[in-house]
Amino acid sequence: MLNHIELHTGETREIIIYNESNVDWHIVQEKGSVLRLHVLCLSQSNTADEQWKTSIVVEQNGKGCRTELYGMGLLHGMQQAHIHTKVMHNVGGGYSSQLFKFVLDDQAKGSFRGELKIMPDAQQTEAYQTNRNILLSRQADMLTEPQLEIYADDVKASHGATTGQLDDSALFYMQQRCIDRETATKLLLCAFFDDVIKTIADNQLQETIIEEINQIL
Amino acid sequence: MLEIKNLHASIAGKEILKGLNLTIHEGEVHAIMGPNGAGKSTLSNVLTGHPAYTITEGEVIFRGKNLLEMSPEVRAREGMFLSFQYPVEIPGVSMVNFMRTAVNEKRQYEGKTPLSASDFLKLMREKKALVGMDNRLTKRSVNEGFSGGEKKRNEIFQMAMLEPCLSILDETDSGLDIDALRIVAEGVNTLKTPHTASIVITHYQRLLDYIVPDFVHVLADGKIVRTGGKELALELEKSGYAFLNS
Repeated sequence: MLNHIELHTGETREIIIYNESNVDWHIVQEKGSVLRLHVLCLSQSNTADEQWKTSIVVEQNGKGCRTELYGMGLLHGMQQAHIHTKVMHNVGGGYSSQLFKFVLDDQAKGSFRGELKIMPDAQQTEAYQTNRNILLSRQADMLTEPQLEIYADDVKASHGATTGQLDDSALFYMQQRCIDRETATKLLLCAFFDDVIKTIADNQLQETIIEEINQIL
Repeated sequence: MLEIKNLHASIAGKEILKGLNLTIHEGEVHAIMGPNGAGKSTLSNVLTGHPAYTITEGEVIFRGKNLLEMSPEVRAREGMFLSFQYPVEIPGVSMVNFMRTAVNEKRQYEGKTPLSASDFLKLMREKKALVGMDNRLTKRSVNEGFSGGEKKRNEIFQMAMLEPCLSILDETDSGLDIDALRIVAEGVNTLKTPHTASIVITHYQRLLDYIVPDFVHVLADGKIVRTGGKELALELEKSGYAFLNS
């Protein structure tokens, strides 16, 4: 299924994509519009059918647009989440940021392919992309593919991707403060997703997601 | 309160503690000094249960129980506290959330009811005042963006919150100027009771001007080789550890 959306001049829109499978989005932004989009993949149920695939393509067609893409995946059992993003700066003066975080346990699999394309006319663009992943088990698998194509020369762009385990020294510090390893792990994982969750405008939804994270953990 | 008998411990196959013996009673302050590499930090890591270390021989009895069988969090709940030499930063975990979880875990272990949100905030205010902790620091994530001195102050604040019976201060004075050192020492002294004990691990005599020890031990080559009163620290400051080679 393809969702085609246009953000008109100066329009601000927030889009929440919560546990949707096989949904593609193509969003076109006109001058001065602001897009804030969250992809959330988390579910307590454990069936192998839990596979989320999303593709999000955003085109900045007008000057001075702002695009903020956030995503989180908390996967366990045999769940899978595959996220593809493509942000295209066709015109200049725009800002985009992508922040995607995954935590995978058991045999879960995930992938993040983050495309960023800054066209030759898109001078004075600022574009950032960050993907952070934590693997909690040896069989969990995460594929991360940042893909940047920058054709303009007056731009600020950066990308970063890291995949690792929880910070052992932070875990030990918390254990030394009476907190058992399991509870400490929950605290650290909630902290990990903090900056993705806190950017959701709807406080009610924020609380629901935090509650859901705690339940899964 | 604490009895260490013939403790041998190693890390990555290398033996660091080679038969360490130490006994600590309620109300006592024990200073541990010694050359670098002697095993001072190993001792604090082994006592608190750091997983990187292996105990190859010996036993440790804490409050009548076998310490080495306990997980790090149980040792903490039994009343052991370590003021870390290098406190780690934990972005995203707020000081309030962290401390409330810690305090309530200890209370649960002791059979007490957890503190309500308002009672907990009251406790925090009380302890902040007691150790002179800056208000802004407790609103942040654990140790995030704290200076070296602020991190050490935060360790003492956490100690005030958890009220341990045995506190291990691992090089608490490193990285502190004289004012910060005085303030940290004041905090430690304020928390002292006839039923608590402290192990103060330090390189320098000056901390011991403020936290006055009952015993000073020299830890060298994995063992305690000399024990004296507080004058021993002054002697070491003057003459160094050359006596070890004779």
